[in-house]
Amino acid sequence: MAEPYLVVEHLTKVYERGHVVALKDVSFEVQKGEFLVIIGLSGSGKSTLLRCINRLIEPTKGRIFIDGVEITKLSPRQMRKFRRKIGMIFQHFNLIKRATVMTNVLTGRLGYNPTWMTLLGIFPRSDRELALKNLERVGLLEKAYVRADELSGGQQQRVGIARALMQEPELLLADEPVSALDPATSHSVMQYIEQMNREDGVTVLASLHFLSLARRYGTRIIALKDGELVFDGAPEEIDDRKFKEIYGEEAEEVEIR
Amino acid sequence: MARIWPTKLDRDRLRRRFVALLLDWMSWGYVAYGVMYFLNDYWWRIPLERFYTTLTLPPWGWPAAVLGTLAMAVICQVSGYSLGERALKLEIREERPLTKEELLMGRAAGKPFWKTQWGVMAVFLLALTVALGWHIVKIDPEALIHPSPRAREMLSEIFPPDFRHFRVPDPAFELRGLPYSILDLMVLTIFMALLATVLGAAVALPLSFLGARNIMGFSPAGWLVYGIVRGFFNIFRSIETMLWAVVFALWIRWGSPLAGIMALTIHTIAALGKLYSEQVEGIDPGPVEAVVAAGGNRIEVVRYAVLPQVIPSFWAFTLYRWDINVRMSTVIALVGGGGIGDMLFYYKNEGKWALLGAVVITIVAVVWAMDYLSGRLRERIT
Ligand SMILES: Nc1ncnc2c1ncn2[C@@H]1O[C@H](COP(=O)(O)OP(=O)(O)OP(=O)(O)O)[C@@H](O)[C@H]1O
Ligand SMILES: [Mg+2]
Repeated sequence: MAEPYLVVEHLTKVYERGHVVALKDVSFEVQKGEFLVIIGLSGSGKSTLLRCINRLIEPTKGRIFIDGVEITKLSPRQMRKFRRKIGMIFQHFNLIKRATVMTNVLTGRLGYNPTWMTLLGIFPRSDRELALKNLERVGLLEKAYVRADELSGGQQQRVGIARALMQEPELLLADEPVSALDPATSHSVMQYIEQMNREDGVTVLASLHFLSLARRYGTRIIALKDGELVFDGAPEEIDDRKFKEIYGEEAEEVEIR
Repeated sequence: MARIWPTKLDRDRLRRRFVALLLDWMSWGYVAYGVMYFLNDYWWRIPLERFYTTLTLPPWGWPAAVLGTLAMAVICQVSGYSLGERALKLEIREERPLTKEELLMGRAAGKPFWKTQWGVMAVFLLALTVALGWHIVKIDPEALIHPSPRAREMLSEIFPPDFRHFRVPDPAFELRGLPYSILDLMVLTIFMALLATVLGAAVALPLSFLGARNIMGFSPAGWLVYGIVRGFFNIFRSIETMLWAVVFALWIRWGSPLAGIMALTIHTIAALGKLYSEQVEGIDPGPVEAVVAAGGNRIEVVRYAVLPQVIPSFWAFTLYRWDINVRMSTVIALVGGGGIGDMLFYYKNEGKWALLGAVVITIVAVVWAMDYLSGRLRERIT
């Protein structure tokens, strides 16, 4: 087997405030090109795990390697540079609401351009061309100069995807990318992510609420429960018993089409 | 086995009981002070020769006052007439379900506060404060109804106001050898306010980010800068513009408009800085997260995630401040800050009431117009 792309070793996160242990000794590996889905109940630590991987949150203990680089050792400056390779999309889209779609998409290039330029709002021509290309890809070309808050939820998330695409990432972190969207829109957004995974070879780590979505899009699933890794395997391996183990005895599987 | 040490809960109750006692003690000290004040003022009216001076406490007076108030506090604690108990939530609440009437009328269980013992105390203290305040300030309501003869004279002369010096400078009134008209000075005053607002906002804008918790992070250096900037805002804001004007008038020259501008600017920086940084602290953190995740640095976070969110309210605050500065600039001359106030106080001192009327009317009109303008602009923005 090839050298894994992402290695998480004994990752622990304790929130000082409230002494919450959000992650307990979590270890797993991800190969290049995988579509890994993280499932688990609300509060099980999915968001925390994803944010530790690009160090939006500082892990308390443990090591993380990406492409052979121990990112938990990088200085803040080096980490900023490294983050260019890691795209991220968010449950609530996290767009700059009062800015245009174009500006939002261009923020994906912040890490590639000198600060004096970005401060003045100047982006190279090539970046602007790339922005239009990515907007076209997510079907929003005609919305380029519309304010972000005038778009529907599904459209906003597609702007989020275009912004992540701007980074030309090797790894995509998606924190519940569709849980604010209706089922039909969810699938359309998931398909864009799947396309990134299949066509651009981006390794994807996505947390999802619905197991049906996880089964449909994931090549592998890991499950968290109270901050512990309780399952790591293929989507088919999650049977009724496993399901109850992850989600609790009373849980009932809901289908989303 | 008998417990010797109080449990944690008991200890907490004890501590609160102690603080409650202190509070009651302080309020009784206040009552004693109030009573002394009244006595002192009315003492000489008591027709006894030997008390014809201000009242002084006998040597045993201080210990008596201290012990007396303490005793009163203890009595309060025992009898339930205690504000301290209430403040520290020590009183024992009767736990019972709401009656039908209470449910219907939406009233929580319990008496209205003025029927409770602590409510009686609170009303008593409030009444004492009003009486004491009335007495200390020596309010004379009659003066409101029957104005002084000078005021009557002034009112009769102020109408009709005399606008002869609205455009033509008054040779009798000169500042540094030059005569001025109302219009000259009004324009000067508006520009004082404008300069102060623009300068103040320009300095407050960058400072406000240094004074925002979420931008400065939690490193020791971050805390230090944050603390210094916030301290600057708070201290400089708490010194009134008028006081700053005195300082700068003495520093530069009495009556110099520059002194007025400096005073207005300093206060504007501190006041706007505080308002701005509170806005920065209240932003939605989502975009910040997104910019950081894309590899942005702190400056880029401010430029792309923070500024777009706060700019509308920054504008609103700045316009609001412009209002304040216009109003302030019209009277700042009183303390040497220059502007139209110089003319105002000159005519007042000379008793030229009709000319004064014209100045007052101009000021009112300009302040009103500016107020209206900034109000409309603010509506536009938000
Ligand atoms: N900033 C924080 N400070 C303190 N505790 C936190 C913080 N963020 C999260 N937690 C706690 O850490 C635990 C894991 O939270 P996390 O957000 O990672 O869960 P999640 O699986 O993403 O849940 P959800 O599905 O609701 O998004 C929770 O118990 C939460 O209360
Ligand atoms: Mg989450």
